[in-house]
Amino acid sequence: MTRWLFIVAVTGVLSALFLFGLLRGKPDREIASNLIGKHAPDFTLPLHKGFAENLGENFSLAEHKGQPMVINFWASWCPPCFQEAPALATAWRKYGTEVLFVGVQTQDPGRRDEGQKFVDQFALGFPNVFDSQSSLSIDYGLFGVPETFFVNSEGLVIYRHTGPLSKITLDNQIGKLVR
Amino acid sequence: MRHLSNSVRQVLGLLAVIGGLAVADSVQSEEAKSRMDSVRQLEQQVFDIGRKLRCPVCTAESVAESSVQIAIEMRWIIQEQLEQGLGEQEILAFFQSRYGDWILLDPPKRGVHLMLWLLPILAALLGLVFLAFSFRRWQNVAKNSIELDNANLNRVRKAVEEARR
Repeated sequence: MTRWLFIVAVTGVLSALFLFGLLRGKPDREIASNLIGKHAPDFTLPLHKGFAENLGENFSLAEHKGQPMVINFWASWCPPCFQEAPALATAWRKYGTEVLFVGVQTQDPGRRDEGQKFVDQFALGFPNVFDSQSSLSIDYGLFGVPETFFVNSEGLVIYRHTGPLSKITLDNQIGKLVR
Repeated sequence: MRHLSNSVRQVLGLLAVIGGLAVADSVQSEEAKSRMDSVRQLEQQVFDIGRKLRCPVCTAESVAESSVQIAIEMRWIIQEQLEQGLGEQEILAFFQSRYGDWILLDPPKRGVHLMLWLLPILAALLGLVFLAFSFRRWQNVAKNSIELDNANLNRVRKAVEEARR
């Protein structure tokens, strides 16, 4: 009896470790962020071409305080970023008047032109900036791209999503911002 | 005589210039050496702190070893903060405030991370207890004499004899 209990316990522990390993490798998952409940770190970064004409050379988050925001980090080499971009563009068309969408090209050194092509390809009409040194990645505690932060009107981060966004996640999280 | 003394004066002047240059060169090389030493020391400090931080986008690599851009940027931040006079703990806390305890390669000895430190000790203790019990059981088995009836004793004798042949 004791021997059976021992075998069951060992098998259970090994299975749990196996499952943990499988889930760790899944890109689309929730990872607790140290920023939840804290103010979204401020930044001023150069805008991609199309936006500079209307908004100026740089975009500063501080100038948009009081507005709920969706801050999306992406890179031009990242397939999941391409995967989520249409959903993001659709959400912006739907909620763009209530929520400020900001795209940040990061972890993508020296590829500003490729970033511009990405913006043009998906007709992203919301401001997209270029984080040439990836320093904003560190300020936001990014593990990779894509990652998205949902910030309420008080400037507090309420949710962080790692991996490609789905329409459902966008609708749910934006729903909480505009409620 | 006057001509000779002029020549001597010129030679002495030349020697003084050469001596001065040599002293200046040695002072300069001392300064360069001390500058190089402080650069090396700073690099070593950056490396030592970088080795305590996990590269956020790599697999099992520290910030000191990784060549991805984010790790390079983190090394720059470490260097800047060291130059500003911040200590190792303050720099580690800076990254911890952004990434949480996950970013530290040496998990802090508190909360759930305490398990990581205690479990190996606990496992070793359990192993020792298991071994102690096993040895005791084997000793008890060895102490107890084995009783054989005549029939079995004969079987054993027969088997030994056959083996000897």
